[in-house]
Amino acid sequence: MSEVRHIRTVCRSCHGGCGVIAHVKNGEVIKVEGDPESPISHGTMCAKGLAITQLAYHPDRILYPMRKDNGDWKRICWDEALDTVAAKLKKIAAAHGPESIIIGQGTGRDFESHFSRFGNLLGTPNMLTAGHMCYLSRIGATLTTCGRHPAIDYANNPKCIVMWACNPLWTNPDEYKGVSFWRAYEKGAKLIVIDPRKGFLAKRADLWLQLRPGTDAALTMGFFRVIIDEELYDREFVSQYIHGWDSFVARVKQDYSLDRVAEITWVKQELIRKAARLYAITKPAGIHWGVPTEQTNNCTDFTRTAVGLMAATGNLDAPGGNVFHEPPGTRKISEFSANRALSDEQRKKRLGGDQYRLAARMTIVTPKCAWDAILTGKPYPVKAGYLVATNPVVSRANAREVYHALKKLEFLAVSDFFLTPTAELADIFLPAGTWLEQDHVSENWKYHGYVLARQKVVEIGECWQDHKIFMELGKRMGQQWWDTIEDSLDWLLEPTGLTWQEFKKKGYLHGEQKYYKYREKGFSTPTRKVELYSTILENWGRDPLPKYTEIPESPFSRPDLAEKYPYILNAGLRTPTFFHSANRQIPWLREIRPDPIVEIHPATAEKHGIGEGDWVWIESPRGRIKEKAKLNNGIDPSVIVAEHGWWFPETGSADHGWEVSNINMLTDNSHESMDPVMGATNLRVLLCNICRCGDD
Amino acid sequence: MEKISLVFRKKDCMGCHACEVACKQEHGLGVGPRLVRVLEKSPDYVPIYCHHCAKAPCVEACPVEAISRNEQGIVLIDDDLCIGCKECLEACPFGAMQFEDRREVALKCDLCQHRLAENKPPACISVCPTACIYLGGKKSIAAVFEKTP
Repeated sequence: MSEVRHIRTVCRSCHGGCGVIAHVKNGEVIKVEGDPESPISHGTMCAKGLAITQLAYHPDRILYPMRKDNGDWKRICWDEALDTVAAKLKKIAAAHGPESIIIGQGTGRDFESHFSRFGNLLGTPNMLTAGHMCYLSRIGATLTTCGRHPAIDYANNPKCIVMWACNPLWTNPDEYKGVSFWRAYEKGAKLIVIDPRKGFLAKRADLWLQLRPGTDAALTMGFFRVIIDEELYDREFVSQYIHGWDSFVARVKQDYSLDRVAEITWVKQELIRKAARLYAITKPAGIHWGVPTEQTNNCTDFTRTAVGLMAATGNLDAPGGNVFHEPPGTRKISEFSANRALSDEQRKKRLGGDQYRLAARMTIVTPKCAWDAILTGKPYPVKAGYLVATNPVVSRANAREVYHALKKLEFLAVSDFFLTPTAELADIFLPAGTWLEQDHVSENWKYHGYVLARQKVVEIGECWQDHKIFMELGKRMGQQWWDTIEDSLDWLLEPTGLTWQEFKKKGYLHGEQKYYKYREKGFSTPTRKVELYSTILENWGRDPLPKYTEIPESPFSRPDLAEKYPYILNAGLRTPTFFHSANRQIPWLREIRPDPIVEIHPATAEKHGIGEGDWVWIESPRGRIKEKAKLNNGIDPSVIVAEHGWWFPETGSADHGWEVSNINMLTDNSHESMDPVMGATNLRVLLCNICRCGDD
Repeated sequence: MEKISLVFRKKDCMGCHACEVACKQEHGLGVGPRLVRVLEKSPDYVPIYCHHCAKAPCVEACPVEAISRNEQGIVLIDDDLCIGCKECLEACPFGAMQFEDRREVALKCDLCQHRLAENKPPACISVCPTACIYLGGKKSIAAVFEKTP
């Protein structure tokens, strides 16, 4: 009997970070377990990570490169695949400029640095990520406001936790995982939950604020109104470290009476008062906020006001508040990414760069600008694409437009595990490795102060880890890379004094945590203060003070539409089994959640003759899809909550049912609907109507 | 010797289903039998699992004495004796008893006794982020609930 080897590594079935012990027998992973020594996950694992063996060894997984010949996929070798992609991209770059090539990633497989390096060395400023409306958007907003992303400091036990539009126990948390939250909560922290839907945390909360979806930025103004009126702010901090406090106070007093905030948010004044007091008075207190706040037109302003709350209450960079974790000392992503290699001339060509200045600063474009350029040829033609670990046909707003844009490209290469609806549009398919097949200094881009060793456990088929694909393709394009993955990791680790081999043995590195760093150095903003009045936004000709802007498609902004579409669709409900559009083909996970779910209040369901388990048409001004009804009296009767990310891998056709239950058939990506500086698409809040399938 | 059992502190179960997948992996099960299962009735979650009852209805219902409770208190099925009559599925008040169509035998939680033998907690307990699953005898379980506010 062959021996079972235990190999320590790090999960990446979502944004990742959880420690794993992989059990390997005869070159195959037979089991994964949580790593009790992981500083991130403390031995726990989630359903997605635990199901990795069913993904890695899935019968539908593509294990070799492929070329599409007259509509049929044909197996080819890596040399042919990479030579073809390199030749195509070089030809198109020579004819139309490198800016005519878009490269795109989704949430990614921890290869951001390689993705950006490839794009920068190629000379294209047109890099699409999820960052315009997810995470990078909060990094951008915090960067302009306080210089760095302040993550909640669970390790120092906040006494009050504000869980704002987030359920880290279920989904894709970034810095800290659900288990860290839970441990702090169990120590007796007060819990304030802000969520349109009564979930597990709302039920447990000391205060639950059930707001109208998308009005988060108005609610922060309500918190401020109470804190200002009742003088609950930290006087010393405010006077010394906040730029523009007086003008901000003037705006709050003029525009945000509690009466008005309650009217906008649907949260009762008394509840706003109680929550603001609890947060402001309890020390320390931390805010843990989630991506729904970013996926509306108020993306930047919400984050700016949330940072403002941390600052004004003296919780910024205070133990147990929201802190700037010290990086562990590896080379920075920006250095690895060769950001300086992109010339000013090419930088100026970034699609939408003049309009979405914050996105441009974060070196990305909002995808709408790319679809526009492909479909209209303006401001210049975009001819080719290279998409890695992304399924925009399902995950980006206005799916139909995305589909037509990708279809129109002269050349498309896709790198993934499966033939997704997006991959089916490609000319070349490059098979990527899962996290079990990856060597990487993981989490290097996060703001929790850790890097962790994700080490390759197995090799499967001819799959390569994405980093190697970028590297080998880059070399064929004449770019400067390293000889091997190990060489690149050694370079990344060099400032820490460790080699990859040594780091692997160590497992992880943690930056030395210091607090109140601003007392010596101020904040990394132009005024060295927390800029509630943003000099950067002012320079860009934007409103320097944050505000709430009404959701572009709501019963208040569009009463004309609300007659035909009377409900607020709160789109994008997350599940603990799926990661965006991933995992629908994993038997263990699909058994738990076989169907796309739309949640409807029982009274609303009754009005439409809809019963639990009925298929329901959800219709918006842009189209209709169907999902299965689940009755939930924990939502407002005028709100419909629906899951995102659905396609049906099991269907034999090449479209894999991408139009059937894909919530982004309904979402809008017009420029008017986006955040004005970040280009965040509104994936979350729109108008809809419902009816039982069969009644239409 | 003190008997052991499995207990979920239901109010701390937040429906992540990690226990389900950990259990499937540990027992090499595919789609079908679910030895532990969490029903969703948001915001409540209802775990369905074997309680290893002291006076187990499944043991009493089995016509061929294939189910028994061992000296640790773990209720187990002897595959070789099971005739696949499903009487135990009917008898279990918790809906915990499962059936494997392929082998036509009843299937249930064995408290990961192979892991217990190595001093490791059952798979479900090992992954739970809210630590709402407990293993223990009468005394330790009482302690769990005493701590409940």
